Amino acid sequence: MRVPRYQTPELRNKNVRLAWVLGGMAIFFLVTSFPFWTGLFRIVGTQAMP
Amino acid sequence: MSATQQLINNQSYKLKTASLTGILVAGMFFADISRAEYGINFPPPAADVAQEIYDIHMLTMQITTVLLLIVFGFVFYSLYYHRKSRGFQADQNFHNSWFGNWSWVVVPVMVLGVDLTIAGKADAVLKKVWDVPKEENILDVKVTGHQWWWEFDYLDHDIKVESRYVPEKESGDLYLREVDNRLVLPTGQKIRFLHTSADVLHAFWVPELAVKKDAIPGYVTETWAELNREGVFRGQCAELCGTWHSRMPIVVESVSPQQFAAWVDDQKAIKVAAAAEASADKTWSLDELMAKGKTLYDTKCAACHQVSGMGLPPAFPGLKGSAMVTGPIEAHLEIVIKGKEGTAMQPWGSLNDLEIAAIVTYERNAWDNNTGDVVQPSDVKQAR
Amino acid sequence: MTTTTLNHDEAHHHDMPTGWRRWLFSTNHKDIGTLYLLFALIMLFIGGASAMLIRLELFQPGIQLLDPDLYNNLVTNHALIMIFGAVMPAAAGLANWMIPMMIGAPDMALPRMNNLSFWILPAAATMLILSFVVPFFPGGGTQINTGWTLYPPLSVQVGMSMDFLIFAIHLLGISSVLASINIIVTLLNMRAPGMTLMTMPMFCWTWLVTAFLLILVVPVLAGGVTMLLFDRHFGTSFFDAAGGGDPVLFQHLFWFFGHPEVYILLLPSIGVLSHVIPAFSRKPLFGYKSMVGAMLTVATIGMVVWAHHQYTIGMSLGAVTYFMIGTILISIPVGLMIFNFIATMWRGAMTFETPMLFAVAIVLMFTFGGLSGVMLAVVPADMQYHDSMFVVAHFHYVLMPGAVFGLFAGVFYWLPKWTGHMYDETLGKIFFWTNVIGFNITFFPQHFLGLAGMPRRIVDYNMMFTEFNVISSIGAIIFGLSHLLLLYIVIKTIRGGKKAESRAWEGAKGLEWELDSPPAFHTWTVAPQIK
Repeated sequence: MRVPRYQTPELRNKNVRLAWVLGGMAIFFLVTSFPFWTGLFRIVGTQAMP
Repeated sequence: MSATQQLINNQSYKLKTASLTGILVAGMFFADISRAEYGINFPPPAADVAQEIYDIHMLTMQITTVLLLIVFGFVFYSLYYHRKSRGFQADQNFHNSWFGNWSWVVVPVMVLGVDLTIAGKADAVLKKVWDVPKEENILDVKVTGHQWWWEFDYLDHDIKVESRYVPEKESGDLYLREVDNRLVLPTGQKIRFLHTSADVLHAFWVPELAVKKDAIPGYVTETWAELNREGVFRGQCAELCGTWHSRMPIVVESVSPQQFAAWVDDQKAIKVAAAAEASADKTWSLDELMAKGKTLYDTKCAACHQVSGMGLPPAFPGLKGSAMVTGPIEAHLEIVIKGKEGTAMQPWGSLNDLEIAAIVTYERNAWDNNTGDVVQPSDVKQAR
Repeated sequence: MTTTTLNHDEAHHHDMPTGWRRWLFSTNHKDIGTLYLLFALIMLFIGGASAMLIRLELFQPGIQLLDPDLYNNLVTNHALIMIFGAVMPAAAGLANWMIPMMIGAPDMALPRMNNLSFWILPAAATMLILSFVVPFFPGGGTQINTGWTLYPPLSVQVGMSMDFLIFAIHLLGISSVLASINIIVTLLNMRAPGMTLMTMPMFCWTWLVTAFLLILVVPVLAGGVTMLLFDRHFGTSFFDAAGGGDPVLFQHLFWFFGHPEVYILLLPSIGVLSHVIPAFSRKPLFGYKSMVGAMLTVATIGMVVWAHHQYTIGMSLGAVTYFMIGTILISIPVGLMIFNFIATMWRGAMTFETPMLFAVAIVLMFTFGGLSGVMLAVVPADMQYHDSMFVVAHFHYVLMPGAVFGLFAGVFYWLPKWTGHMYDETLGKIFFWTNVIGFNITFFPQHFLGLAGMPRRIVDYNMMFTEFNVISSIGAIIFGLSHLLLLYIVIKTIRGGKKAESRAWEGAKGLEWELDSPPAFHTWTVAPQIK
């Protein structure tokens, strides 16, 4: 999978950095924009009770 | 309602629907107004709020139709006149004119005006629909959706009605719009519907009442209606609820308060008789239980397990020769009374001892199962 | 400009790989775009076949062809395959092909990730089709009879095919998020010098907004279906009232994704229209700035009105009032878009090649669908429309013109650029007319069915609904078969035809028309200077 080197190293770094920011955004929404983890912890918490 | 009145109503309805189609199909490819009797609009409302909903439906439809005609008018004018084949020269500065610079303000303001008109009218009706009355003499009906039948509990009268679809052989033209036991409601009294579900989501929908609400397991939602005319109104379950979603009709029979009172007394008498029969300390014979069991099985169990007992595997296991119904009686009773979690098999513990005994006996002896077991109501009592 | 010169020279050393390696290991935006479009075309036919079966079953009252669970399974699959398999990949295919050519970039910003985001799709599609096929095998469990909305508790009852579906949705989600990241990075970092955001072609703007929407909402769907998976297998009760959960929560999560999804499907096609209409009206797009503003407004309001899909769940008066007014307000930016399109046609010098015919049909029919949307937004009236065939008619009037016809317009518009051949204009026009007429015969009568009281997703209906269902099914056959003509036209154009000039259409503007038809394997290795 060879990619022609049309991007300068600076541009490439800039691209990858922005991609990570956007990917982080997606993960942020996955984790926080709905009560997933809170619900999970609540359920785990109540089930662990004797 | 007198005959003339009905005629007038019918006529105005036809007129309305006719003009409605006329508007709707304007510029479209078929304009068959004789379709009116097949229903192209909501049926005539049977409640005041339903009438208001009907009116706002007509209002928004008229507004949107006018807007649609305006858009169509401009587009077709442009398509005809501003074409290259007519030698029209493109106006390259059109977007730089005064209009081009300010249309982004003008157009939204105009649309906003239309929006506010619709929203304002809608808001007033919405408040009425949502504001469920809390009066003393209100009739409470608890509507419980089941896969795939409706249960109506008249909370004030302690009456329960189970409503199931009627197979095509018996219902004929009304197939999928007819039930065995109708929801009988009085006119002139406010009725509060409390919706809930025993298994998955359902939705109670009767167009004449303009009532639609989801039945959610574990939650109760409410709606209300006050019927203003007698008649039979038909609706269906509106929320996909599994295999036989299409077989959950709702039939409302609207009667006068006197008839309703008589109906309530009848139902109570039937209930008392049934309770007396079930509690009678009697040992039932196999034949008696089989006869009772067949009727009960065919109404309550056959939707899934089928009249033939073959079921619809894998969702609904067959009972013919199955290990469950030919095995120990205790396990069989338990699954009928308590249901099985994570499957469509629901608990049937609300049936009385006699009914469960009859169903279990029937299942153990029908379709060549022939175990010869006779389950008595007393056995059921013990198993509970 | 030493670096660009260097790269320019180097590009010539990379010959085009051949055989299967060219496609499997491709990092070239044009090849990946082609793959996306071919994938979408295959899925269009699979999804279309399931729609044909649905309409055949509904041709007459009674259950003739499909048992109820199979019918519901087809309803589910039709929706998922059309949305995730056909429309979104087709839009991504257009983006891959056109965005680098439009902004003067040599390729997408992250070519390897581009390859990954496409090649996840066939795996996801396999999972999706398996979820349909598995129940036919012994021990395969029950069919998915929930519709694409997957509402619990019904979806908890379904057998293992639901798990296949959940993983298919995860894969599809990963694929679209990766593709979106790539598109955003390309648009923000790779524009030719001199091209600002506000001079960038409209198609790029629509995809920028779409890509952001995808990144915001797809993870929410992924989370929702993950919770469903946990409920099914790991004993949690997110959506089970008996365990302290709430079945309605899933509906909120689903529609928080589902409503913006409508705009995700719609916006790329709006972008295509913003090129097609000016090209064939020989006049610049009317209101570029207001178009961008309208799009951003639609995206913003669209994110916060999801619950209008659930008016009947028993929300408070305040909540429904908010969702009603929010939804009605969407008509403002959408109305502005439609207005801008009409104003672009106004006083232009129009000709009516196939892309323009589709564009005009979109303006008219999408307006129709949008207006029935205003009716649906009115809560009291929606107490009647909700979950009836009226809704089915409405959203097909929005999504067929709004999304699919837009893609057809784009394909016909750029096909000469991609293949170097002009398509057969007569066949194109025959395709347009059969398609549009078939569509209207199919879906227009469904408005009446819904008003007369026919709920959606029922396999069998009372005979009072027969007439319009017969008309609808006949229309569906015309509509469905017309797509074979599309296939024929596309194959014919790829194989040969009149040579296309680099500027294939008289009024076409933009950097992509400066390139040869078909363009070289690597284009814009030297960035063009925008004045």
